[in-house]
Amino acid sequence: MRDTTREFESWLNAGGKRVGQVIVSAADAGWELRHGDDAGRDDLETFSKWQDARALANLDDGGAFRPLKTAPSLRHGWRLVLPDVHAVRLAIEYFYPAMLGVWIARRLGEVVPVDLRETLGRQTGMYRITQKLTDEQAQRLVAKTCRSNGGCLKTILWRISAGVSVPLLPPEKFREEATPADSLPLLCQEACNILVAAARKMVKDEAPPPA
Amino acid sequence: MLRKPDSALIIAGHGSTLNPDSSAPTLDLAEEIRRRDIFGEIHCAFWKEEPSLRQVLHCVDRRDVYVVPNFISEGYFTKTVIPRELGIVEPQTEVGGRTLKYCDPVGNHPRMMDLLLKRAADIAPGVPTEKTSLFIVGHGTDLNENSSVAAKREVERIAALGLYGEVRSAYMEEAPLIAEWDRLSKCPNVVVVPFFIADGLHSYEDIPVLLGIATESPGSASANRAAVFANNPYHLRGRTLYYASSIGTEHGFADVILDQVADFDARHAG
Repeated sequence: MRDTTREFESWLNAGGKRVGQVIVSAADAGWELRHGDDAGRDDLETFSKWQDARALANLDDGGAFRPLKTAPSLRHGWRLVLPDVHAVRLAIEYFYPAMLGVWIARRLGEVVPVDLRETLGRQTGMYRITQKLTDEQAQRLVAKTCRSNGGCLKTILWRISAGVSVPLLPPEKFREEATPADSLPLLCQEACNILVAAARKMVKDEAPPPA
Repeated sequence: MLRKPDSALIIAGHGSTLNPDSSAPTLDLAEEIRRRDIFGEIHCAFWKEEPSLRQVLHCVDRRDVYVVPNFISEGYFTKTVIPRELGIVEPQTEVGGRTLKYCDPVGNHPRMMDLLLKRAADIAPGVPTEKTSLFIVGHGTDLNENSSVAAKREVERIAALGLYGEVRSAYMEEAPLIAEWDRLSKCPNVVVVPFFIADGLHSYEDIPVLLGIATESPGSASANRAAVFANNPYHLRGRTLYYASSIGTEHGFADVILDQVADFDARHAG
């Protein structure tokens, strides 16, 4: 049977330490997690349960809700001390939901990226209108919504459709190999609902006025 | 007692891009069931948050997987969105080497009546039920969600007990309107329980405004949202009004999820 905790432990033992904006390091009593920007700070508020990660991940420094946990907006000023790797894994699943699982599945060859057109084509109800998104709109939308600087830290594995890429984003955004060796790849197999919702807004906002 | 160390449980919820309140009850349930050490692993999956319904199967180590929708009624999400996103085509579906066992949504469970009665009793302790009108409040006009059907069903079951002076369903956006609660009810005491999975804008702001116990100023409730539940009872329109938080935050929902898993097994035994 696949064992997510054991896979994660092997990654840590092989020198893995960064998951998104979180740094994981060995501590006296187990493990310590903190924001990468907070390295060296000794004025951090200490938390001690993996469940604390939920509240730490929920709001940014300004107190705003973070619906997308891979947005580069993790709050600062905390350290989370945990007794074992299983607890660290559960905390990471609050900080970066699904990212451990998708990473393992990708290595097992189980992740098949789904192009944006296919994702939009599957939508029903209020999101069916996203099927009217043009390639040009899609390129602008993805460049704005998914950019690593302010949007989302994930590496995009999908295309808009066969032969249609997103030239407005740097090539590294689409290359799994570009992830540094000590960092867990954050992989995007398929457009998330945030992008689909943004596509709906763009189609509606940019629709030509009725004649 | 249920023991499923070789199975995974996925609790599927709606989630929100606007606030953490929508996914909170689902995440709380996962933590509660995890504490009971019943399943080999537990995951949540959301339509609007991550893990998404499209990602969650990649997170599951085990091959035997129960999926329980944390929804108040059967409808568009439980019949269309969740099956489509997970690849479910029948109650038991093989997807990517895993067996997905699709259980009924929590709101369908007969235990829902007990939870509503418990919440109503907790919010108005010592208040004589025979002199109390109990309102179960749904959204109404919510496309295919059938939440009004579910609310009516619970109202009929509770009314049949003869416990309350009166039991009624009411809605935010369709008649009978909860805004007219005083005209719709006849008892001196009124207990209002929102029939929603999560507390959020509807229970913190919209329904309190419709009831007349909060003023309509956008965001005013968000600073101290839970206060609307702490200030019971309210004395207005000649009645004594008790307002409860959404039924989905009731602790007993963990048992409902476990019951839905056990019911699935019972129905598909052999």
